[in-house]
Amino acid sequence: MNRKINYFLTVVALLFMQSMLAQSLTVSGTVTDSNGTPLPGVNVIEQGTSNGTSTDFDGNYSLNVSDGNAVVSFSYLGFSTQDVAINGQSTISVSLEEDAEMLGEVVVTALGIRKETKALGYSLTQVDGEELSTIKVPNAINSLQGKIAGVNITQNATGAGGSSRVVIRGASSLTGNNQPLYVVDGIPIGNDNNGSAGLWGGNDGGDGISSINPDDIESISVLKGGAASALYGSRASGGVIIVTTKSGKGQDGFGVEISSSVTFDAVDTSLQDFQTEYGQGIQGRKPVNVTEARDNGLSSWGARLDGSNVVQWDGVDRSYSYTGSNADKFYRTGTTLINSVALTSGSENLSYRLSATDLSNEDIMPNSGLNRKSFSLNSSAVLADKLTTSVNVKYIIEKANNRPRLSDAPGNANFTVMNLPANLDVTDMDPGANEDGTERTYSANIYSQNPYFAAYNFRNEDVKNRIIASTSLRYDITDWLYLTGRVGLDNSTIRRTSVEPFGTAYKPLGGISEQDRRYNQVDADLILGVDKDLSDKFSIATFVGINSNHIKFENLNLGGNDFIVAGLEDIGNTVSQSRGHEYGERKIGSVYGSFELSYDRWAYVTFTGRNDWFSTLSAPGKTTPNNDFYPSVNASLVLSEALEMPSFVDFLKLRGGYSEVAGGAQDAYQLSLTYEIFGNPIQGQPLGRVNGNTVPNSNLIPFSKKEVEIGLDARFFKNRLAVDFAYYKNNTTNDIVDVATSVFSGYGGAKANIGEIENKGVELLLSGTPIKTEDFTWNSSFNISKNTGTVLATNETDSDVNLDEPRSRNIRVTHIVGEAYGTLVGVSYERDASGTIVYEIDGEGVPRAVEGERKILGEGVPPITLGFTNSFRYKNFNLNFLIDGKFGGQVFSGTNTLLYGNGLHKATLEGRENGLTVTGIDAATGSSFTTTVAPENLSTYYGEIADIAEEFVSDSDYIKFRQLSLGYSLPSRLLENSFLKDVSLSLIASNLFYISRSVDNIDPESAYNAGNSQGLEYFGLPSSKSYGLNVNVKF
Amino acid sequence: MKKSIYILLFALVFSACDKGFEELNVNPTKPVQVDLSNKLTAAQKFLSSERYDNWRAGLIYQSTMMQHFSTTAGYWAGDKYTWNKGYASSLIDRYYGNVIKSVEDMLVQLDEEAAPEEMKAITRIVRVIAYARVTDLYGDVPYTEAGQAFISASLLPKYDAQSAIYADLLKELEESANALGTGISAFGDADVMYQGDQAKWKRLANSLMLRLGFRLIKVDPTASQEWVTKAIAGGVMESNEDILFLRHDADNKNGNGEVFSADGSPRLSDTFVNFLAGDPRLPILGARRSDGDTSPANLIGLPNGLDSAMLLDLTGEEDSENYAEPNRAIITGETAPMFFQTYAEVEFMLAEAGVRWGLAGDSEAHYNAGVTAAMKMLSLYGDAAIIDDADISTYLTNNPYDAGNAIEQINTQYWIATFLNEYETFSNWRRSGFPVLTPVNYPGNVTNGTIPRRLTYSESEQSSNPENYAAALAAQGPDELTTRVWWDKE
Repeated sequence: MNRKINYFLTVVALLFMQSMLAQSLTVSGTVTDSNGTPLPGVNVIEQGTSNGTSTDFDGNYSLNVSDGNAVVSFSYLGFSTQDVAINGQSTISVSLEEDAEMLGEVVVTALGIRKETKALGYSLTQVDGEELSTIKVPNAINSLQGKIAGVNITQNATGAGGSSRVVIRGASSLTGNNQPLYVVDGIPIGNDNNGSAGLWGGNDGGDGISSINPDDIESISVLKGGAASALYGSRASGGVIIVTTKSGKGQDGFGVEISSSVTFDAVDTSLQDFQTEYGQGIQGRKPVNVTEARDNGLSSWGARLDGSNVVQWDGVDRSYSYTGSNADKFYRTGTTLINSVALTSGSENLSYRLSATDLSNEDIMPNSGLNRKSFSLNSSAVLADKLTTSVNVKYIIEKANNRPRLSDAPGNANFTVMNLPANLDVTDMDPGANEDGTERTYSANIYSQNPYFAAYNFRNEDVKNRIIASTSLRYDITDWLYLTGRVGLDNSTIRRTSVEPFGTAYKPLGGISEQDRRYNQVDADLILGVDKDLSDKFSIATFVGINSNHIKFENLNLGGNDFIVAGLEDIGNTVSQSRGHEYGERKIGSVYGSFELSYDRWAYVTFTGRNDWFSTLSAPGKTTPNNDFYPSVNASLVLSEALEMPSFVDFLKLRGGYSEVAGGAQDAYQLSLTYEIFGNPIQGQPLGRVNGNTVPNSNLIPFSKKEVEIGLDARFFKNRLAVDFAYYKNNTTNDIVDVATSVFSGYGGAKANIGEIENKGVELLLSGTPIKTEDFTWNSSFNISKNTGTVLATNETDSDVNLDEPRSRNIRVTHIVGEAYGTLVGVSYERDASGTIVYEIDGEGVPRAVEGERKILGEGVPPITLGFTNSFRYKNFNLNFLIDGKFGGQVFSGTNTLLYGNGLHKATLEGRENGLTVTGIDAATGSSFTTTVAPENLSTYYGEIADIAEEFVSDSDYIKFRQLSLGYSLPSRLLENSFLKDVSLSLIASNLFYISRSVDNIDPESAYNAGNSQGLEYFGLPSSKSYGLNVNVKF
Repeated sequence: MKKSIYILLFALVFSACDKGFEELNVNPTKPVQVDLSNKLTAAQKFLSSERYDNWRAGLIYQSTMMQHFSTTAGYWAGDKYTWNKGYASSLIDRYYGNVIKSVEDMLVQLDEEAAPEEMKAITRIVRVIAYARVTDLYGDVPYTEAGQAFISASLLPKYDAQSAIYADLLKELEESANALGTGISAFGDADVMYQGDQAKWKRLANSLMLRLGFRLIKVDPTASQEWVTKAIAGGVMESNEDILFLRHDADNKNGNGEVFSADGSPRLSDTFVNFLAGDPRLPILGARRSDGDTSPANLIGLPNGLDSAMLLDLTGEEDSENYAEPNRAIITGETAPMFFQTYAEVEFMLAEAGVRWGLAGDSEAHYNAGVTAAMKMLSLYGDAAIIDDADISTYLTNNPYDAGNAIEQINTQYWIATFLNEYETFSNWRRSGFPVLTPVNYPGNVTNGTIPRRLTYSESEQSSNPENYAAALAAQGPDELTTRVWWDKE
């Protein structure tokens, strides 16, 4: 009987199964969040069975279900689970609602892999694109300033098209590049600086990341530490910033988005507080004739302004009275117009987003500006079952006109404008040229440029054409095994012309330089990956990949001096010419892999490894390795899921990581000696010699950077309060430096792996929602970080490494063993044992401050940065503001140095009427003296002080009201019956005012370049306040 | 099976990760070697060096110390015996990187290519010229280990005693002279000084031996006489055709000329102008600053050691516009030739050899030939600098050879003849003591009112090569302007 029953049941079961097989069907679709962003890794399970899969990177899934009546359940951490009866449909796309209680934030990690934050054993900050596109600036990365703990962004005084300096967790190389790797849509892009100002002036040619259009950015992930970025191996020593651009995914049908913004910039004259009581002249008197007026062009050591008629530089008598702020009169109102239109379309098998943006900037510097046209196409398509592809192309045309000259006086309008005596009106110098085209000089010093001549007659134009393109293909071999390939290209050409015109006072015949720079980077990845649940509790995510990175750089230069025909600015029209050709090519080949094991969704551990081979370290017969292995491990424990927690704790995670990354093998051809044919032949005979001034090192290896980090991530009170804390310590060893050689060796230095740096720091992010009602929400976030960087070794003798010095040449950024990275070492006051200043009393009885030794006067990089953001939403209104600050650093002010020497600084008012009483030590006798410096001798007294850098190094501490925006979105009910989907507008303002500032007359953040020598200010473009309006329309 | 395919695939990938990298890391814009000829041309070009050191060590220091020039400009440190370390070391700062590194590199290549001996000899002579100039100015300097940071990884070379350097330089000259034959060397026209003429190089080697031999006169008179005798026997320069000089052009400018383009402050020293009274060279070498007038009556030399306030006090002149400066119409051009050793100098040395040791025949004839050659060679500056034979005879008639004061007379003429080759002027003045120059005593000078005896080392040596630098100071004396080099014995 039993056997019969068994037999029967077996037959029934078989039949049933047969029918199941017969009726089985494939369901596929896309899972997105409520914003339309695809969700990868969503569990898709046929209810009541163990049959399931998960969505891929692009949120797509495909599942064989038993029959048309099956119910499929979509579950994803942080989102409410949705069960959908398929009812015979073969396509089911769902949008999951976020569940605030579930905290399953997904972020973009290394190599574009999306992960739940709780699985991360390291610190990663993701910023929404909206934060960059609300208050738009030409260089989008500057919008991150103050928003991310541990990321030190410095906006320089270099104009709208200038570069920015981004340093994550401290600089890790003494002289190499310290900026992060930028990865856009999975493809590393070039961020080379295209020229910068130095000791002798120049201008900032912009950088690579500034090409990225803020309106196209979906999100930015900042991989701060090595554990987060180790998968990028040798290129990750400065951290990695991953930019994901917007796509058409999640778009339902066709949509259009139009965005327009206008911003007005005005020079912030509130920073400058000059004396306006005494005018041009010398020894307390007014100039008596034109010669004297010109000989003392920038000297404010004249008489008290009295309104009398006094001759000026051009022979015209004008009122000897304050004429108002010259900065206000010279700089114009800058405008930035950004218009963009984006078309998006999404369907089951094809989605795309096509956008075009025009950015037109007129800088506050007259005749200077930037135009950038960006075109972007992001598309993705399902080509066949299990085969998906995406193609992204960006084309950028950037034209810059007259990037302002900075630093040293020649060609630098800022220099003259800032130093002009109170009774001189800069507008009298307009136009800058005489009718014959020669400069209208105002000073006997030919290097003091007429600012209008600098702005309108000097020429500096560049056009950059850039294509960033990538394509990827993914094949899901099985529901747990996939293969992805990705190839990207970053190609740019910069064509630049700069002219010192015929008639320039300091270079009467002028000169021209023509430049053609080409850059090409190709990067390709192939990844084989596995995502699999091994059991109820254990699951793995693992992949292996290979990568090839190939960079070519080429630079052609033509130089010509002495124009023959006046006014014709062409290389052929010059007496003598020179030319140059630079070329560099390098490749990195890599193999990498990652293995993540999770247990019960509360314990995660990830191992990664990458091995990089460097062409720059390859040479025949080289005995040291040309490759290096970069391992990392990180782990996270979500204690709140593993243990019973008090009810106010919603989430608590501990994390930790260890990593080894590297860098520094940047330049090609450093291993072996080459020769060159150089210059122009003499007597028809070509010239040949050893190429370069640095002894090559055939044994170079990449430098290594090891980092440990631990952290904590917690949320309390129903997620109203969140805390994220990180501590890290990293050590760079084997940094590639130029070892000092003796001048007698014939070489200026020798390459060696010797430098060592340590950085350690803490990062704290507090965020919360103090108020949340249906109509009103207040979100607040505060971040603070401190990084302590110490130089541990420099070269064989641990001698100082000299970086840049400003034109005053009395101070220099220097790496000193045992001190902070980039200390400011400058001329101090000579003092006696008690600290009293020592003076030499000259023949006129004027005490002249004695220059003491050069000593450490500060550190150029502020170790502490903070940011405080608040956003308020009331119904359809929102208000946001950002306050940021930096502390603990110092800045040398070249402006204040010159203002002192020229008598324009307010401090030099002391003693003008009745003389100045000075007490000090007489260098000749060593004993104390007190004397009164007569008003006519004050210029000598203050002039000597102007040579002493110590006087002009101040704390660069500041707290700034950085950004403010007030936005309004039209209520959706108003749009219900129109074709419009969303309309929002915002009023924006940035750099409104300082809440506190330690240095007078200048913006504490006004370095004239973005290099490693920070903390030097010398007549960059003054900072400005901006106001604007932003409109966004979607339909 | 599947597994092994994966393994194989990865092994392939792994081995391919650095495929072609060695070839890729070869700079396509730079050759791995260049021809010796090209290196010789460059080394010769850099013997006359750049504006940088011609301005600082040459003109600012030595030309004013030697009272060829004077100026009120404060930064002309040599005029006032003040110390600007960067200026003082400028010859070291340029020569080792530009000339000595190249010549050392050429010697390696000559050996590798087993080049003909005469090519090697010419290269060795160029090396001697460079080192002699450096050691004469600074004393003990790195020699055996210098310029070889790449060749022998000698990043921090030791300093060699000048006595040892001199012994080797003289030996080098002797061997080189012996190696040279006749005809054109394989350098050919790449030799932009002698166009490969071996006979000229040989006479140069002996002429340099004559010069360096005379340098030893105070420290080792016997050796001095021996080398001078040997040099004369070997055959020295015979005419102005043998002068060692470099023709400059618009692309390869005369460093002194570039200085005069950029710096209007130098004037002719009154010492020099006074010596040139009645000399047909005066209107060629000098012109009034204000208007270029060259009439000798209007050519007034500016006293050394004055600043503008002192000049005002002394003369009532507001500026130095009315004083003579180097003649901008003739000698200050950027394409003017630069001289290293002249036939005139050789004749003067032969005259002195006769006076001292009865060598080389008639001293008076050599003196006359020297003066004549010194005047005639100015024609290399162009037709405007041609001096008539009649003017030369007149000069010689008015300034006849004076056997009673021959050494001073000969060396004073040497001083005039080496105008603008201030390195040689300074060395010959130190070894001969002539002309007798009255030092200045400007407030704040660092020599206690004496003319400096050498220039000082690069400041960077103190931090980058401290041990060897300290050893050099221990051997030679403090690194100061007043310290004497080995051959400059008191």
